[in-house]
Amino acid sequence: MKKLTILLLSGLLLTGAGCSDYLDEDTTGLLYGPNVLSTQDGLESALTGAYKGLANQWTYGFLHPSANAAVLGADDVTTHPASNKADWREFDQFNVSTTNQRSNAVYNGCYKAIQGANNVINNYQKTVGTKATIDIIVGEAHFIRAFSYYWLTRFWGNIPLIMAGEYSDDLLTVKKSTPQEVYDLIVADLKVAETNLPNAKRDPGRPNKGSAKAFLADVYLTMAGWPLKQTDKYDLAAAKAKEVIDNAATYGFELLPTFAAVFENDPASPGTKEAVFQISGYLGGSGTANATYGNTTMPGEEGGWDDMFAELNFFRDFPAGPRKDATFRTEFGLGATKIPWQNSLTKHPYYQKWYIKGNIVTSSISLPSVMMRYPHVLTIYAEAKARGTGGPDQAAYDALNKVRLRGRAAGTKALTPGDGLTAAQFADEVVQERAWEFACERTRWFDLVRLEKVEEANAKKSTDDLQPIKPIVKANYWFPLPYTDTSINPNLNQ
Amino acid sequence: MKKLLSLCLVLLGLGGGSLLAQNARVTGKVTDQDNAALPGVSILISGTSQGTVTDGEGNYVIQAPGSGTLVFSFIGYESQTVEIGNRSVIDIKLAQGSRSLDELVVVGYGTQKKTDVTGALSVVSTREFSQQPVTRLDQVLQGRAAGVQVTQSNGAPGGDSKVRVRGANSVLGNNDPLYVIDGFVGANYNLLNPNDIESLQVLKDAASTSIYGSRGANGVIIITTKKGSKGIKVSYEGQGSVSNVIKKFDILPAGEFAEIVNARAAATGSNAPFTQAQIDDFKKNGGTDWQDLVYRKGSGQQHQVTVSGGNEKTSFLISGNYVNQKGIVNNSGFKRYVLRTNLRTQINKNLALRLNLSGAKTANHNTDGGGALIEALQWAPTTPAYGSDGQPTFADPIGSVSRSPLDHLYDKSIDTERMNINAIGGLTYQLPINGLSLDLQYAINYLDAQNKNFNGKRLSNNNPNATRYSADQVTLQNTNALNYTRTFGNHSITAVAVLETQQFTDKNFTATANGLRFPQLGYDNIGGNSAATVSSGFSKWTLLSLLGRVNYAFKDKYLVTAAIRRDGSSKFSEDNRNSIFPSVALGWRLSEEEFIKNLNVFSNLKLRGSWGKTGSQAINPYATLSPYNSTQVGFNNTGVTAGVIQGNQGNKNLKWETTTQTDVGIEMEILNGRLHFEADYFNKSTTDLLLNVQLPNYAGGGTQPRNVGEIRNRGFEFAIGGTPIEKGKFSWETNLNFSTLKNEVVSLGGLPRLGTGTGAGGGMSITNEFMLMPGQPLGSYWGLKYLGTFKPDEADIAAKQGRVPGDPHYEDVNGDNAITTDDFQIVGHAFPKLTGGWNNTFTYGGLTLNVFFQGAFDVDKLNYTRAGAMSGSGEARQFLLTEIRDYYREGNTDSDIPAFTKTYQPFTQSSRFVENGSFVRLKNVSLAYNVPSSVFRDKANIRIFASATNLFTITKYSGPDPETSNVGSSTDTAIGIDRGSYPNAKVYTVGLTLGF
Repeated sequence: MKKLTILLLSGLLLTGAGCSDYLDEDTTGLLYGPNVLSTQDGLESALTGAYKGLANQWTYGFLHPSANAAVLGADDVTTHPASNKADWREFDQFNVSTTNQRSNAVYNGCYKAIQGANNVINNYQKTVGTKATIDIIVGEAHFIRAFSYYWLTRFWGNIPLIMAGEYSDDLLTVKKSTPQEVYDLIVADLKVAETNLPNAKRDPGRPNKGSAKAFLADVYLTMAGWPLKQTDKYDLAAAKAKEVIDNAATYGFELLPTFAAVFENDPASPGTKEAVFQISGYLGGSGTANATYGNTTMPGEEGGWDDMFAELNFFRDFPAGPRKDATFRTEFGLGATKIPWQNSLTKHPYYQKWYIKGNIVTSSISLPSVMMRYPHVLTIYAEAKARGTGGPDQAAYDALNKVRLRGRAAGTKALTPGDGLTAAQFADEVVQERAWEFACERTRWFDLVRLEKVEEANAKKSTDDLQPIKPIVKANYWFPLPYTDTSINPNLNQ
Repeated sequence: MKKLLSLCLVLLGLGGGSLLAQNARVTGKVTDQDNAALPGVSILISGTSQGTVTDGEGNYVIQAPGSGTLVFSFIGYESQTVEIGNRSVIDIKLAQGSRSLDELVVVGYGTQKKTDVTGALSVVSTREFSQQPVTRLDQVLQGRAAGVQVTQSNGAPGGDSKVRVRGANSVLGNNDPLYVIDGFVGANYNLLNPNDIESLQVLKDAASTSIYGSRGANGVIIITTKKGSKGIKVSYEGQGSVSNVIKKFDILPAGEFAEIVNARAAATGSNAPFTQAQIDDFKKNGGTDWQDLVYRKGSGQQHQVTVSGGNEKTSFLISGNYVNQKGIVNNSGFKRYVLRTNLRTQINKNLALRLNLSGAKTANHNTDGGGALIEALQWAPTTPAYGSDGQPTFADPIGSVSRSPLDHLYDKSIDTERMNINAIGGLTYQLPINGLSLDLQYAINYLDAQNKNFNGKRLSNNNPNATRYSADQVTLQNTNALNYTRTFGNHSITAVAVLETQQFTDKNFTATANGLRFPQLGYDNIGGNSAATVSSGFSKWTLLSLLGRVNYAFKDKYLVTAAIRRDGSSKFSEDNRNSIFPSVALGWRLSEEEFIKNLNVFSNLKLRGSWGKTGSQAINPYATLSPYNSTQVGFNNTGVTAGVIQGNQGNKNLKWETTTQTDVGIEMEILNGRLHFEADYFNKSTTDLLLNVQLPNYAGGGTQPRNVGEIRNRGFEFAIGGTPIEKGKFSWETNLNFSTLKNEVVSLGGLPRLGTGTGAGGGMSITNEFMLMPGQPLGSYWGLKYLGTFKPDEADIAAKQGRVPGDPHYEDVNGDNAITTDDFQIVGHAFPKLTGGWNNTFTYGGLTLNVFFQGAFDVDKLNYTRAGAMSGSGEARQFLLTEIRDYYREGNTDSDIPAFTKTYQPFTQSSRFVENGSFVRLKNVSLAYNVPSSVFRDKANIRIFASATNLFTITKYSGPDPETSNVGSSTDTAIGIDRGSYPNAKVYTVGLTLGF
């Protein structure tokens, strides 16, 4: 009994009280702290995480039709006048709210990618591993950051310029940076990327040296127009595009022989050689499938969502040929019965471009979001050369003709300097060709903005299409910064 | 033995006190005057705080000195004081009449006489709910204790309930009260069989809860389970029930729906989807009633067997319980199995051992509501349920863009299984000092959690997938208590000192397989897949506590209680680890004063007041750190690559959230106990409020926990009860309780406001649905104020916003002619400001009729289910409810239901869908008959009963159920959103109880 008492009492004293480390936190299994990026595997994992910002289906990035909605202010695509499309209409009607979930998905994703890229860029020097591989990782990180800022500044103009990969309270009061400051970083990043990246893409969903140069050319072209209007950048754009064209084979880029082959949309294929840079989609992962095909551009008659379809005058003016045939869907019905678009519920033609091979009705598929196609590079060269020093040369004509002749009806004549176009007229011809070639590919809106033609293009719309809710002004060229962020950081309202 | 004891005394250096009086075992049975057993009767050894209560059959066992006196007391009965006189069996008959004043209540780490209690606590007697068929503790608590608010927020069988004691203190943390079952702190009430409850106490004020320190801020619910007693008793109880949906939405008949869709197409320049022939056909043959396909008649059964008994030294109780319920939504159900064994034995006169073992298994199948209930109000009535291939229709060409309600019902499984083993072993040892005893208790709680989810090919867009989550969670608790009870003349002292440790470890695995090649195998064989994610996790926290409490009473009139607890937690960094939670309470029993006694009115009159501090560890482990999360990216069309992505930000400076509470209360009894009244006022202030502060998306988004701000909860609680009629065989006993609650955010640490969202509004909300703002309560809805439609004479205002008459008119707060989030304001509050319950028991001989009402008042709900069916936004493309008949059009411009235009911009997050959620509900009505025991020669008892739950509800709310919400029960910043929540049902039950 005595023993028992002693045992009890000593047990009482010993339990817990005796162990000074009883309250120490056990972090077994927790991945945190600066050591995560100290190995090459850690750095590579962080880079993969950075890509996630661009590729998180239905959450943020480009694997669902958010960027597609945000460019609806152009004259190539419109949306349903009623149904559940209020957030899509905001872009077509120039009345974008600070809470629009479509544009905000682009914003959130780009900044998430930037956070991941910053983390790699700021920490790779401490990483132990193979230098050649680390260089590529760093090159991809710079590319992702440039790509993301490029989308951000084109949509929102003045934006927070974040270089930190880790959170600190200072970030809560950061002020907006001007487009000039943002473009300076984009150019610097792409220059690092074009140095570091290999000629061959490590995977279909990653950039190579040619991707970096092509985006740099596109960035210069944009810097030459609104809002910076640094026309000296046309020469830089042309030169950089030429580098890509001259080394297309090295980078694995080519113009496919037919336009239809580009939009075969076969989920069994990793993509085409026209893809300068693509964000790949994979059905089987978590948030990795692509939703920019199928349902979103299909009519209700085919089980689609009527999210986006062709504007009437754009379709009317589109030059006939194999490209028009492969671009539009003009009869609806997955079975034997076909309804011509004029008799359909929305009375508009739709974009065949984003139909999945076999007309599968789904919103999740293993297909890529191609963020730039090789003909884009060809037209950058043609336009930039025309607007730059010396006007268009034969190479500029050749570049335009490649795109033009593939798309237009058989027998269409090539354009030649002998046609008597002025340099400006030639440049306009390129811009128009880009409208046809890249219809519904998130390109037309940016062309209209940099050339300040948004008002002009919208004035030509059919009265049967959605109209701007109020007269378009320059303020409509950019969206208001998302409410989520302006409500946290009041400096963003200044 | 004596020698050993003397040695102990020497060892401890303590002496002088007289040895303990020799304790002997006393057993017996307590009955009422009709010989019916009285369970739950308090038995106290006079002059001490030691005692026990009778079991379900009225039996008791107590160790008491043969020369001592026992006090038997029970609510509604005259208490009796009996000298033991060295007897070992004492049977007692209690006379109905005055309420007992000497009833024992369980407080944290001890028991106290109810009259001596200085804190605010509610006792829920098992008698009060024995008349209602209950399967879970929350049903027992609902409406029965002032200051305790229970909302059955998920009406599915086995669904979640929200239990709040005196409001919600924490924004970030869980506001669930702390459950203590047989001394195990932090128990899961879902795994308790309510038939095993012997006593139930709700501790509300800080004087009562501060003994639980850092976990006491949300109130504490203390449950003691039943024990066996001498002799062998066997009882069986069986119940069967059927259930139906309370109410459905009114949906347009198919033909009329088609006409309205055509009218909208015509008005917005699209072609008509339906031909006249189709419309005529719909009018003749009808369409699809999706709600009918989703709901069914539910059913349920419950069986309970209890065997208990014992001899002079040892007692046991074994109970088994089985519940099987099929919900009113197709393909949903709940099963529970509970087995309990409670053993105790008196080794010798000083040492008693006890062991409580409980094993429980629960299985929920598709009890989340959601998908099917939302889509039933978004799929067009014109769309057939099945295609020509016999499969559910895959896509709705007119209504929703999501999958069919049938696919949401049958092409997925959400199975949640919990297996809990709880073992509590303890001993009590009377130390050789008068009044001093030692109590040691060890508890092990093992929880095996299995979540099994499957989404089929149809629901998943050809990516059939399944997730298995498996966790094993072990809690170890050690409680060492020294108790001391002495009375010296006019002074009586009870004291307790405790050292307690608790540690929790969670180890889990998750495997998600996408692209299942053999979807027919569901989640049971996920090896054949095209991509899998596997992860595992580990987390652990520890708590080390020292606590003590002293109760002091002078002449049984002036009462003082002081308690203190020091908690150390591993969740915080070293500097913020330890905290002290003190409390003090005073009581004055006026009824013991001569001048009150002389009035001859009050049998009890007590004033009490308390002040104290409690805490809330409202954060998860590792919140001071910033871990990476796993993610995956597809760099090609054939697979994924794993990566890491930054998650939420940690905060090294986190510390405890502290709640300071003041309480004043009055208790009185008049008419010799026939009428009693209790009232309390409380004021709780929570400082260093933990908030998950949203970080800007440009900084990577996510949240960071911070200690900012203050929240206050104030309110009154009233409990009035009595026996208004008692004539011959007939009696009517009634108890009414109601409480008010004023919740207010006092400050947010300088922030003007802070939004909190849920994700529950999927596609319906454009920003956080709730806003925290100083001066406003938690759960304030954030949205636009809907002013109706623009009228013809407002065309110019409409035009400034780019709208036309008939379009929705929202208040343009800043007058910039644009409707944006800058025009958002608070448009409702989701916390009821008044709640109450009214319980009535009518008895006539062996017949008992129970009528129980329960209600919540002054509360708003955000009806997103209706918004989905009425806004043409999110997944829904059309308007389905009959209210659309009144839409704005030429000749009907008074209507506030928007017109069909191209400029229509719906904001579902607006006051248009905020509805009055007040309700009064007949929660239970039951009739029971006790077959006179003489029928079976006193060898058996039989009771039969029939009851109806939720028989009727008085409410203005348009959804099926004002009580349910599809936001989880643990959060309070975002409550009251109804987006396809699983409604409560009307349940009809019949049952039988047999006792031998």
